[in-house]
Amino acid sequence: MARIRFENVEKKYANGFHAVKDLNLDIQDKEFLVLLGPSGCGKSTTLNMIAGLEEVSDGRLMFDDMLVNYTPPHKRDVAMVFQSYALYPHKTVYDNIAFGLQMRKAPRDEIDRRVRDAAQKLEIAHLLDRRPSQLSGGQRQRVALGRAMVREPSVFLMDEPLSNLDAALRISMRAEIKELHQAMQTTFVYVTHDQAEALTLADRIVVMRDGVVQQVGSPDDIYERPQNTFVASFLGNPPINYIDGTIEVTDSSTARFVRGDLALTLTEATARKLADCNGREVRLGIRAEDVDETAQGGEGSVIRGKVNSVLPVGSDQFLGFDFYGEELFFRVGKDLSHRLGDDVALSVDLNRLHVFDKDSGKTLIW
Amino acid sequence: MSDKTLTQPGGIDYRRRQRLARLAQTLVILAGAIVLTIYVLAPVTWLVSSSFQTEAEIVSVPPHWIPDEPTLQNFEAIFSATEEEEITYETRSGQDPASGGFIPSTAKNLLPAMWNSFLVATLVVILNLLVGVPAAYALAKIRFWGRDASVYFILITRVIPDIALVVPFFLVIKNLGMLDTIGSLVLTYLAVTVPFSVFILVQYFEGLPDELDKAARVDGCSRFQALVRVFLPLSLPSLVAVVLFTFLTSWNEFLLALMFTQTEASQTLPIVLAAFTSDFTISFSFINAAGVLAIVPPVIVAVIFERYIVSGLTAGAVKG
Repeated sequence: MARIRFENVEKKYANGFHAVKDLNLDIQDKEFLVLLGPSGCGKSTTLNMIAGLEEVSDGRLMFDDMLVNYTPPHKRDVAMVFQSYALYPHKTVYDNIAFGLQMRKAPRDEIDRRVRDAAQKLEIAHLLDRRPSQLSGGQRQRVALGRAMVREPSVFLMDEPLSNLDAALRISMRAEIKELHQAMQTTFVYVTHDQAEALTLADRIVVMRDGVVQQVGSPDDIYERPQNTFVASFLGNPPINYIDGTIEVTDSSTARFVRGDLALTLTEATARKLADCNGREVRLGIRAEDVDETAQGGEGSVIRGKVNSVLPVGSDQFLGFDFYGEELFFRVGKDLSHRLGDDVALSVDLNRLHVFDKDSGKTLIW
Repeated sequence: MSDKTLTQPGGIDYRRRQRLARLAQTLVILAGAIVLTIYVLAPVTWLVSSSFQTEAEIVSVPPHWIPDEPTLQNFEAIFSATEEEEITYETRSGQDPASGGFIPSTAKNLLPAMWNSFLVATLVVILNLLVGVPAAYALAKIRFWGRDASVYFILITRVIPDIALVVPFFLVIKNLGMLDTIGSLVLTYLAVTVPFSVFILVQYFEGLPDELDKAARVDGCSRFQALVRVFLPLSLPSLVAVVLFTFLTSWNEFLLALMFTQTEASQTLPIVLAAFTSDFTISFSFINAAGVLAIVPPVIVAVIFERYIVSGLTAGAVKG
């Protein structure tokens, strides 16, 4: 049982680096929370603060109703899995997994039962006598998971645990981690820079940048209703396309986005939110997959351009698209073939447009 | 490729020429290695060989690398030199230096000095580990204000030559009333060796992944337990390096021992050995036998610990 609360938490290093700024976050008991962001955004620092491996410079960090700012790691009931596995090279797999329980003076038969249980679940029972150096990357990661599992901690922390694995293994381990969360019924905090991991695993995602939380929400929230251009760009493959232009408001329920020849009619709901934005410079976001090449788009929903590049990706293809000197990328089906220089017209899903303030990058519609 | 392309205009088979060149290279390296080996081993060989020779045989020309008549009387003389056997000018003049029966006036100090040396070296090794290991762990794994400055400061103390420290050391030791005690040597040797030990260990600990430290602490270790249960088992090679370095430094140290010791209560082996050369008459056989005894303990220590200097202890800790 653990609910974790950050109240105005700051982390500053001795060299002046401000890693985490005014963090307020309420992690619910048994929640799977993913901290997502580019390297240096403060996500690992945040995780380390939960573990007690980094001191909190300012603010309050609470486990349930207990202040843990000054509680050392070994007195917090947390377990952690590291990107580099961090197995003890001088110990066997068995002793690696058992170490946490031994340190907590668990009875020997209890340790043995739990270690063998975990090894069974992770399918590493036949490796218990080996040393870490005799294991493959995937096996090492399982040992690291086992080491955390047997502790049955109230908080399970993972710092990019899958980054060092190859692509196929990563996907299967992802599924196992999700099962593990369901089986363990405990709070998981997971750090990654991989959007796919975040979207598949999380109950809620926290997107961070330069030590500041950009958005907290369900994977759907984060993907469908990004609060700013950073969040919008960070998720999506290929990344969201931006077109700078102006809003033309006709009346309180009708508005258009205009850039040169392009004029997109906004939905009524969007238009209402932009009612007082007539003439405002905005940045329009269109996700790569929110276009349809085959649909007959009506006037006000079509974007035209010349094909710059064609990148087949198996299931479908990416079209590189020149638009006023900017390269836009869209994901289209494989039914139609394209050659460089072809003129194409794509019908845009107007319900899924994102409108951001051009200067601040903040959303104007969600 | 045909043989033609391998044959050079001179008519010599190119491959054979290459083989010859390789052979020549091997021979040059071998010759160099032999010269170097002789250069390094000759003095030690002569020391050991002559310790089993009589005084007459030692001074014979050409020298006998293998004794004609090996004798243990030099060693017997060392072990039978006792306090009761007072050595005066008269008793000494009755001895025959040429036969090796001659014994220096300070001979009885040899075995106590050896014990002193062993005691000092062992204490210095133990204290070095007790002080150096936690210090190095803190410097390598804990980020604190002034950390880098501390490391540099520790390093700088190694730049000062020992001779420059003799006078200040002497004053401190004198004021502490520790002149002519083993404690004075232990104290000053620590000042000389601890910085270097810390330096070796810091280098090694820094090479051990931070994640291991973090993993241990999350697994339930305090800082101290993480050091003892995770870092120490992995640091064996560097610990052995420290043990060897500090033991040998203390065992061989001469200058400070010369300054702070006066009697057999605290004199160490190098001091007593050196005194043999300033006696009325010099007995090479006795000195060489003493020299052999002096190198036995360090050789034993080196042989015991050398096998622990192995690499690859941390293999498999983190993704390489």
